[in-house]
Amino acid sequence: MSSRRSRSRQSGESMITDTQMADLISKLQQLIPNHMTKSSKISASKVLQETCNYIRSLQREVDDLSEKLSELLESTDNNSAQAAIIKSLIM
Amino acid sequence: MSPSQQPSSPNPTHLKIRFARRFLRALNNLNITKTSPDDDDDGENRVYRRSRRVKIAAYTAMASVVGSRRAWSRAVLWKVRNRSRNRSLLSVRPRRKRVDCKITNNDHDHAKVFVRRRNPNPKRDPFRDSGQVLKLRKLVPGAETMDSWCLMDETADYIKCLAAQVEVMKTLVDLYTTT
Repeated sequence: MSSRRSRSRQSGESMITDTQMADLISKLQQLIPNHMTKSSKISASKVLQETCNYIRSLQREVDDLSEKLSELLESTDNNSAQAAIIKSLIM
Repeated sequence: MSPSQQPSSPNPTHLKIRFARRFLRALNNLNITKTSPDDDDDGENRVYRRSRRVKIAAYTAMASVVGSRRAWSRAVLWKVRNRSRNRSLLSVRPRRKRVDCKITNNDHDHAKVFVRRRNPNPKRDPFRDSGQVLKLRKLVPGAETMDSWCLMDETADYIKCLAAQVEVMKTLVDLYTTT
């Protein structure tokens, strides 16, 4: 992390950037899985790294699931009936 | 909810329901249109193109549920719209990402609900280009030109919606395999 200045250049500028960033990073930390095991503070760079890995794994899962879905849609014949059933369940 | 307020984070169940509806509708449309076989496609290519269409339908459905509130959803919708436009013109033009993001941020015309999130301290941004942040910028759509604060905000929302999307898709796969 780059060095943090203790004085702000312009007067009247708020000095709470770091705490706000820490808030956001803790919010991110709650979203990524396995955050329970690391309930103590972990470094921001680790949180960012875990976030990147998590996003990549989610995107990979979307790819896999869309492949499976396309195969399943191809194989079943009464798709519209099933989709109508599912829709009626949800709505 | 006035536009100047920051909206609360989306209720995940509502998100899933709305996403599921749009996704199913899109899948239905996909099914109706692709029953005509492509003669010049071999099997593998066809499978790949089909799964790609499903994936695009999923991302588009989620982005349209979120609407114009978020930069990532605007970026996704813009990309999809331009991809279909490019294909219809039959030209392959390499688009630079920076140009995309600039135009996306100015695309207010279609925004029904457009909430601008204010970075409370935009002038000080020491983490803007540090290593991990760069990787994050590549992963989150539309995040290349944001400052770090907005980037973290967008990332959190993006992760929530992506996780909800994955759950709904898993449920759908289970439903289709058992019935």
